[in-house]
Amino acid sequence: MMYAGVDIGSRAAKAVLLEDDKIISSVIRDTGAESVKTSRKLLEELLEGTGIGSEDIDYTVATGYGRVLVPYANENVSEISAHARGINWYFPTVRTILDMGGQDCKAINCDGKGNVTNFVMNDKCAGGTGRFLEMIAEVLNIPLNEIGTVSLGSTSEIPFNTICAVFAKTEAIRHLRNGVARADILAGLHEAIASRSFNLLKRVQLESDFAITGGISKNSGLVAKIAGKVQLEPLLCDDPQLCGALGAAIFARDKSVLPSARAKMQYGYDDGTGSYFISLDEGLCNGCGKCVEVCPAGLFKLVQRNGYMVAEVKEEARKRLPVLCPGIETCRNTNGGVTCQMVCSERAIEHSW
Amino acid sequence: MLAVGIDIGSLTTKAVVMNEGQLLASEVSNTLDEAETSALVAMTGALEKAGADDSPEKCVITTGAGGKAVSFANRTKAITTCLARGISWHDPAIRAVIDIGAESSTVVKINDRGRVTDWANHDKCAAGTGIFLQQMAKLMKLSFEEMSELSRNAKKGAEITGTCAVFAESEVISHVHRVPPTPMPDIILGIYLSVSSRIKTMCKRIGAGENLAVSGGVALNTGLVETLEKELGQRIFVPKDPVFVAALGAAVLAEEEMQKGIQ
Repeated sequence: MMYAGVDIGSRAAKAVLLEDDKIISSVIRDTGAESVKTSRKLLEELLEGTGIGSEDIDYTVATGYGRVLVPYANENVSEISAHARGINWYFPTVRTILDMGGQDCKAINCDGKGNVTNFVMNDKCAGGTGRFLEMIAEVLNIPLNEIGTVSLGSTSEIPFNTICAVFAKTEAIRHLRNGVARADILAGLHEAIASRSFNLLKRVQLESDFAITGGISKNSGLVAKIAGKVQLEPLLCDDPQLCGALGAAIFARDKSVLPSARAKMQYGYDDGTGSYFISLDEGLCNGCGKCVEVCPAGLFKLVQRNGYMVAEVKEEARKRLPVLCPGIETCRNTNGGVTCQMVCSERAIEHSW
Repeated sequence: MLAVGIDIGSLTTKAVVMNEGQLLASEVSNTLDEAETSALVAMTGALEKAGADDSPEKCVITTGAGGKAVSFANRTKAITTCLARGISWHDPAIRAVIDIGAESSTVVKINDRGRVTDWANHDKCAAGTGIFLQQMAKLMKLSFEEMSELSRNAKKGAEITGTCAVFAESEVISHVHRVPPTPMPDIILGIYLSVSSRIKTMCKRIGAGENLAVSGGVALNTGLVETLEKELGQRIFVPKDPVFVAALGAAVLAEEEMQKGIQ
């Protein structure tokens, strides 16, 4: 079985092709202005030389900023979930992730199955994002992929007291004009970004193991600075930039494997007066939450299972179902004609009485 | 004896020469790496214009980002104090001045004696500052005058974030490339609105609501001032030479200083 994960980021577009548990191929290219075109091109490049056609791919999941602009994707997930799932594939022990992308930065907590438990993000300001580093690399006239290494050669770091990309640029130019070594300027800027990332990390639970993902984690200078602040050795996967796309591919795999594994859940009980069950087919439930909204007794809630949102009957209600639930017939008459069965577009809900 | 006020900003340095309450001359020059040299260049220029000889007796007060680093200054004053004095010299009825400089924006609340009662300042990032507007003008290849002119034809302001100058730039580019493209006037109005929203928040924070004035280089951008007027729901006073308000305030303070000395 073949699964594809496509991550259309703000600066770079990534794709991963997965065959069961093996990465067959992967590709990274610039996002550019037209995401739809980019996503088509990305698929072509992904399949190039593999002998696999696009029709052989069983399921495709898209993620990233441009996730809705992938016409061939079967569904999409947020990049936060995708990164957690991707890093979990490499390191199941990771509980804290710092995802440093082209235009934002996120701190994520996840559990042992790669489900997100908490996250905070900065997407309001370019300080400490890939864009910031791009601008600085441009000013200093050093290729983006070398600035990390150059910064490590610093002997006396220049402190930067701003995190604004625009101000930092002017400040860097000023230092450059005064003959300050590029390495020292870079070291100062990296320090500023690292402390900003650390502040973000402090707002989630900073548990070990710790991993850094996203394109910026290829910058060794920055990784060293962050490691120094966090006091945890960050885990880096083979290509941290691909982590989101890989996560999406794993979502694709789970999605097409799981429906059969996902059971029809029955909530309720039997007694002398009859059997009272509400059954929910989790293979069908799409986690839309409409049943949660309409139930007059508030019996349903949404939970995350295997990375998907599904509805379930609240624990405390299960033993008192016939008391709390008026029953479908009565509900239709008293709740303005709206019932949980009616609003469920997937027909996943049944009542036994 | 002459009174000299020098405002060393992050982009330009302004000097004003006064004598007995009369404004004699003013000069603006680019801020160089060293505040001392920048201040000297601007002051010399202003003194020349005033027709004063090389070393007249004078009292110098500096202010602004580089104000503290000038050795020949008699005193250094806070930018807020200078803005308050400067705008009161123009019109004593003004109760708050909005100063939009190159790398910061400040709102100062003033009482009837030209003293600062409260102020709010934003200098953490480029959003809502002069550099932001300059960057946008450069991006669209327009002068401030052309921008102001175009903004008057806007129907509806384009959505542009007020939080980051870098992201705002990408947004402007995507507005231009959209199919159909967002009309230029709407984009410009969007830019003005994003700056205005920052200023508005600061005004609200300190409760500056009536008899407003603007200063700083950005005040020459009439389109922005008009947008601010609409957003704040009142007329805003634009002094003659708004760039020099802080330097003028410093010169007024220098005069006061000299009077104290005489008494």
